[in-house]
Amino acid sequence: MAIGLAVTAAFVVIVGQLWYLQVLEGGRFLDASDRNRIRIRPIAAPRGILFDRHGVPLVDNRPAFTLSLIPRELPRDPASRDAVLGRVAALLRIPYQELQDAVARVQADSFPPVRVRRGLTLEDVAKVEEWRLELPGVIAEVEPKRVYPTSRFAAHLLGYVREANEDQLRQGRYRRGEMVGQSGLERLLDEHLRGQDGGERIEVDAMGRPVRLIQQSEPHSGAQVVTTVDGRIQEAAERAMAGHAGAVVVMDPRNGDLLAMVSTPAFEIDRFTGTIDRSAWLRLVQDPHFPLLNRAVQSQYAPASIFKILVAAAALQEGSLTPADRTECTGEFHLGTATFKDWKEGGHGTVDLQRAIVQSCNIFFYQAGLKVGGVTLARYARAFGFGAPTGIELQGEKYGLVPRPDRRGWPAGETVNLSIGQGAVLVTPTQVARFMATVANGGVLWRPRLVQRIERSDGSLVYSDAGQVNGHVELSPVVWEFLRRSLWAAVNDGTGAAARIPGLDIAGKTGTAQIIAKSKATLGQDHAWFAAFAPVKNPEVVVVVLVEHGGKGGGVAAPIARKILNAIFFERVAAIEVRG
Amino acid sequence: MLRVDRRLLQNVDWALFATACALDVVSVMTLATLSVGRAGAAVALRQAAWFVVGLLALVVVACLDYRRLVRAAPALYLLGLAGLTLVYMLGRSVSGARRWIVLGPLSVQPSELFKVFFVLMAVWVITSRWAQPVGRTTLVMTLPIAAVPFALIIKQPDLGTALLLFPVLMILLVGAGLGLRLLGGAVAAGLAALPLAWLVLRDYQRERILVFLDPFRDPLGSAYNVIQAKIAIGSGQLLGKGVVGATQSRLAFLPERHTDFVFAVFAETWGFVGCLALLTCYLLLLLRGFDIAGASREPVGRLVALGVTSLLAVQVVINLGMVTGLLPIVGIPLPLMSYGGSSMLASLVAIGLLLSVRMRQFQ
Repeated sequence: MAIGLAVTAAFVVIVGQLWYLQVLEGGRFLDASDRNRIRIRPIAAPRGILFDRHGVPLVDNRPAFTLSLIPRELPRDPASRDAVLGRVAALLRIPYQELQDAVARVQADSFPPVRVRRGLTLEDVAKVEEWRLELPGVIAEVEPKRVYPTSRFAAHLLGYVREANEDQLRQGRYRRGEMVGQSGLERLLDEHLRGQDGGERIEVDAMGRPVRLIQQSEPHSGAQVVTTVDGRIQEAAERAMAGHAGAVVVMDPRNGDLLAMVSTPAFEIDRFTGTIDRSAWLRLVQDPHFPLLNRAVQSQYAPASIFKILVAAAALQEGSLTPADRTECTGEFHLGTATFKDWKEGGHGTVDLQRAIVQSCNIFFYQAGLKVGGVTLARYARAFGFGAPTGIELQGEKYGLVPRPDRRGWPAGETVNLSIGQGAVLVTPTQVARFMATVANGGVLWRPRLVQRIERSDGSLVYSDAGQVNGHVELSPVVWEFLRRSLWAAVNDGTGAAARIPGLDIAGKTGTAQIIAKSKATLGQDHAWFAAFAPVKNPEVVVVVLVEHGGKGGGVAAPIARKILNAIFFERVAAIEVRG
Repeated sequence: MLRVDRRLLQNVDWALFATACALDVVSVMTLATLSVGRAGAAVALRQAAWFVVGLLALVVVACLDYRRLVRAAPALYLLGLAGLTLVYMLGRSVSGARRWIVLGPLSVQPSELFKVFFVLMAVWVITSRWAQPVGRTTLVMTLPIAAVPFALIIKQPDLGTALLLFPVLMILLVGAGLGLRLLGGAVAAGLAALPLAWLVLRDYQRERILVFLDPFRDPLGSAYNVIQAKIAIGSGQLLGKGVVGATQSRLAFLPERHTDFVFAVFAETWGFVGCLALLTCYLLLLLRGFDIAGASREPVGRLVALGVTSLLAVQVVINLGMVTGLLPIVGIPLPLMSYGGSSMLASLVAIGLLLSVRMRQFQ
């Protein structure tokens, strides 16, 4: 019958359609059904923690919500994908273009999340969850975020963490939206601190409810870093520097450990972890006080009178002077037609070498410097590690400057300036700290150590640093002894008196770096130095303080050093009692 | 009344009966796989219960002489119309459609059973002496018996069932000997009335037709069903994903998976090979039905067999067509497979009628 044929024909057409759907296009539809049912949920790895030398965390992580797009789960056709992005933009008030750009930069089929916005509020998270079915490929992800004990604590030392910038993306080592250590230790140790993200493949039903876990890869959190920093000393040093611009470096002369490194003014380190807006960023970058600059390693200054220690060492070792040699200081020194003045009008009267160090007499050292000779002074300066990187490896370290003789020889005027640490010599506070440590320990030039060891979360060791000696300064033991005694006297009977603490033997030297006078009153002020170590007999710490435009070293820098030393030696017991 | 005749028993069409039963068993099994989720085994159990009820109805109908039923057709037809009116007045609403009457624990869908009554009524009119000889008069007399329920059913609204009535009527008329010229005229008139029908359609029905023409018009809305059904069927590939692997069905991505789209569930689970077997069963069943119609020497039996087979055939073809994306989505269940007691009952009654005609073909 005709009707039977018609029905058979209809069946043939249906079978043909089934052949097309199931056999010819089956793979595509299988993929589509997997897309339907499988959701990929990234699990962000927590960044490694930085600890101080006593195991106290300097930074920590706290879970925070991040809005992420999963390209593979976004709708395929452009129109509905744009609709989803439009909904997100409207819901969370994110510029639509920002979302478009974020998606356009990655492969349309990729699994890794594109992190669009950090620091979602609970309200935002609720919105995303509520609209889940209308927002395929959009998730509110839990991602650990850096938290800091206080917002400026050790900001330069730790460094800030921020999304990879355009330059870093161009290098190809980072994905867009990835958090990268941008300065300080966070940058230096980024590859260790950064963990490896994990993820889950979950089977969901049509309502997006999880049904079953298909596959899971655990996140591997970043390595734990034990630094040499002493959080308590760091804190004390920051407190002591409050209100001043400058730097403090505290070092252990026995092994080169950096116990504290302060640069002021500091920036609010926690401002960077979320999304910092453009205006706040510009304000930081354009701040005339350069808060992003780590003055302890990235700024160089004239060492001023601190350099006299080196001149004295060279003069004694080379035999140019003996401790008994005296000079009459009238307050002026004539070289050819030029006149060099002492800082004290009228001069210091008759001074010997020790007296000259204690009183920081310029006239004595002009002559001493000329006797030793500029070339020798420069050689000693290099031996003490000036003019070269310290090996601290913090990004942007300045090398300082030690003059070299040019073709015309070495002008005597330059030597005169050099012998009081002015002129063509520049140093960083960290270099000064290492220099003082060398004086304190009798000639061992330690590489400043910041990281003791790095451990994986399972406890296995990734890296350990036992400390490294970069060089030795060979001086007669008598010379070392003389220097230590003179520096003790400088604190107890001289320019460094403001650093004196009863019950503690401190050796130290002030310095006042002259600035080429500018018209502005405050900017024209000199930089104040104070470099000290204690106790004199068995030195445990070196403290170097630099206050920019602070004026006299003895007046401004020495009291700050006193506060820090006081905290180190006399507040320790109290702190332990409180903690215990 | 139930006089057992040895000749009747000899002519029972066991092949037809077995095929129908096989399809129902497949239906219960397929529904059982769906209950992995929340609904439990309730759906499959109910379907099995209705299968038993339907089998009893089938036996009763097969034992009755179909001619008696055709004679009773006007009464049944009016009963059916009353049911449809009742639905209209106090029906239960499910997803925007009033198709069910609730009777205690049961909800009955009168339009399903009405389809069978409609066939009987059409046969009764066509074979009545006023309609002889078959010609323009017959056409004019039979159109109202389709038009009245059409109006009632489309109001429910149930476009699929309503549209079913006309093709079945046309097949019956042609089978009764209506000239093709007349038929062509009627079809042309019907097509001319289509723009009018557009006005009667509800918004969602218009949307479905537009979506059929362009599936990506609104992928999350109306086209969702089509896309998900295609994904389910296609992902079954050659051999199917098995019961556990059939994620489209099990995880409810497929809407209406136990009713209109049950074929997609089957296709995802058993693949192309399974579909081929299932379609073969349906084709055997339908061709057997037409065969019974052709073999019957008695005009009433011939038309009854032709009518109920066409009724099943049109539903099967439309359902498979819409689930595989060849036709727009109109809510028509797959006879014997889709979940639904009324549909199951109606389909088995239809088979019962076929058996009845077959058993009495030599009388």
